[in-house]
Amino acid sequence: MSWLPKKNVVVPIDLSEFSLSALDASMEFVEDTSHLHIVHVLREMSPMEPGVVWGEIDDESRRVHAEQAIRKRLADPKFDKIEIHILVGNPPNQIARFAQEVDADLIVIHSHGRTGAAHLLIGSVAERVVRHAHCPVLVIRD
Amino acid sequence: MPAHFVTSLSRGLLPRVSALLILAFLLAFSSGAAADSAPPEVEAEAAVEELVQNAESNAPAAPEKGTLKATIDAGVEKVSKVISDVLFFDISFGAFESPMIDWDTREPVLDENGQPDSQHQPLPLIVVTLVFGGVFFTFFYRFINIRAFKHSIDVIRGKFDRDEDEGEVSHFRALTSALSATVGLGNIAGVAIAVSVGGPGAVFWMLLTAVFGMSSKFSSCTLALMYRKVNADGSISGGPMYYLDLGMKEMGGFFRPLGKTLAVLFAIMAVGGALGGGNLFQANQSYAVVEYVFGFDSDFASYLYGFVAALMVGVVILGGIKRIGAATSRIVPVMAVVYVLACLFVIGVNFRQIPHAFSLIFTEAFSSQALYGGFIGVLVQGVRRAAFSNEAGMGSAAIAHAAARTKEPIREGIVGMIEPFVDTIVICTMTALVVIVSGVYDLHGAERAVLFTDTHGAQEGAVLTAVAFQQVISWFPYILAMAVVLFAYSTMISWCYYGERGWIYLLDHFGGSGLRTVIIFRIFFVFCVFIGAVANLGPVLDLSDALFLSMAFPNILGSMFLAPKVLRHLKDYWGRYQRGEMQPEQ
Repeated sequence: MSWLPKKNVVVPIDLSEFSLSALDASMEFVEDTSHLHIVHVLREMSPMEPGVVWGEIDDESRRVHAEQAIRKRLADPKFDKIEIHILVGNPPNQIARFAQEVDADLIVIHSHGRTGAAHLLIGSVAERVVRHAHCPVLVIRD
Repeated sequence: MPAHFVTSLSRGLLPRVSALLILAFLLAFSSGAAADSAPPEVEAEAAVEELVQNAESNAPAAPEKGTLKATIDAGVEKVSKVISDVLFFDISFGAFESPMIDWDTREPVLDENGQPDSQHQPLPLIVVTLVFGGVFFTFFYRFINIRAFKHSIDVIRGKFDRDEDEGEVSHFRALTSALSATVGLGNIAGVAIAVSVGGPGAVFWMLLTAVFGMSSKFSSCTLALMYRKVNADGSISGGPMYYLDLGMKEMGGFFRPLGKTLAVLFAIMAVGGALGGGNLFQANQSYAVVEYVFGFDSDFASYLYGFVAALMVGVVILGGIKRIGAATSRIVPVMAVVYVLACLFVIGVNFRQIPHAFSLIFTEAFSSQALYGGFIGVLVQGVRRAAFSNEAGMGSAAIAHAAARTKEPIREGIVGMIEPFVDTIVICTMTALVVIVSGVYDLHGAERAVLFTDTHGAQEGAVLTAVAFQQVISWFPYILAMAVVLFAYSTMISWCYYGERGWIYLLDHFGGSGLRTVIIFRIFFVFCVFIGAVANLGPVLDLSDALFLSMAFPNILGSMFLAPKVLRHLKDYWGRYQRGEMQPEQ
């Protein structure tokens, strides 16, 4: 990986304060913020969720809501040109797949850094993104 | 009720009563754990067991010691025993006695001196908790169950729906979703068990429990809206684990850890209850009806039924086929109406018996007559089966109600309140009247034996209803079988949702990822559907049954601490409602 400005940088976020700080870090890698792709992955809804049963929420409506929520959090004009992509599924797979799709040069991801038994058992999303990704991954730790 | 009484209730009485309840719980737990060595003098379920014994007599013999199955069985039995010792802990300490009765001949059992033998009639802690909770909330919210009834109907009819509010579904749809979990085999099998074990008098207590239960349900559903999590994608997470945790956190100090503990306890019990009352019991009892109605008598039939049922549940919860789930929740209300109509027909045919049935319900509720374990025995049956059926006080329905689209928590509470009414006062009463007017509850001796020898070791509750249906029109039991299968199916699917919410809360709480691992719960859930239909459940069913009812402990206790907060909301809401500040949409 060279330290030249990147054309496509993927930044997975989960709306926590910390994951937004990964966004700040990622801005250093691009000349123009339009080269940044924010990715937020929604889990599959339970088929028994009342809103799903009655057809009142679906992935489309969830995408709209989530994008609005993220735009609200990123109200600063400096974020305006960033593209936001809302995906549905298993986060590490979706992030890696998306990065490949847009032919990303870099993924900048935060890690909450689970410790102890929980870490051993399930690891972190960041870890699995590192394993699945086709491109370099920068992990920002707490 | 004067206002100062309510204030004094919230300041002085409430903490003291709660402390008493905690004390009783601890006492019960310690004695429950210790009771392992000494056989308990009290068999809470003696009567039910008696009923089941006939059927179990031709069940396969217990596996030999030392095998894996025997070890598992023994383990389950031990855990189950501790829990049910707590749950059914006799808080009257053996103060009540009733003569022993030979269930076959219905004659008193005599001891060696020729005197009628007597037995203890326990007053279980869970029953006292449920009744106390219902009465407490009814008084604390000043008969909300009665004064808000009309408003409740208006809200359900959609007169107060606002599309722009946060939430997933309308009031009516939230109620229907909750009802599809509530209306299940408890309404058919559970009630028949109550009447055959507790006599017609149990119906009176069942109805009374439901009336008070409306206030408990109001409390849970209001709290679910007050402390729900609106996710970024517009979906909702809520239910007792959230309000116990977040609500009591607000109160600070000692309530913080207590709230967390109650929330975790609730989540554990929700997972267990979902697998038990929400799954094994439903699969088992629905097969008992199908087996009886279609006259199956081979193991193969039960395997086939179990396989098909598991497959049907699996396509929704594992395969994500939303349409089936959606279709079911629309069919269930229709099926409930069909069931009520069929019951009315059976009752109509026996119309001469109706006055007698009602007089039995009222007189036997207070009779100290021996047959059904005296006054206490009858009361206990009524309360337990009502709670098992309408889930009031258990907090489970609050998980579904949390999804309602409204910014008024009280309004959803008032909607939820109608559930025990529909479930118990309407539907359960139908089953009870059918069982009473047809006289099938009173079969004994040889007649009973013939009926119940070959039902796979299940509790025969639902079969009683089938027999009553059959007396009227030969093909009527097929309607019953259809209703039973549908109710069981929708209840299992809805309870899987409650169970997985508990699972997700638990795993997230202990540092794991609930959403990622929920698939494990779902696979196990589908597996249990099959087990429920084919297996002779015994101790597993006892355990899951116990977990199901025990959700009421953390929920009622926590809700009492949170009651003053609800009351403040209620006063504000009711004031605005009465001043006409909320105009229903035309």
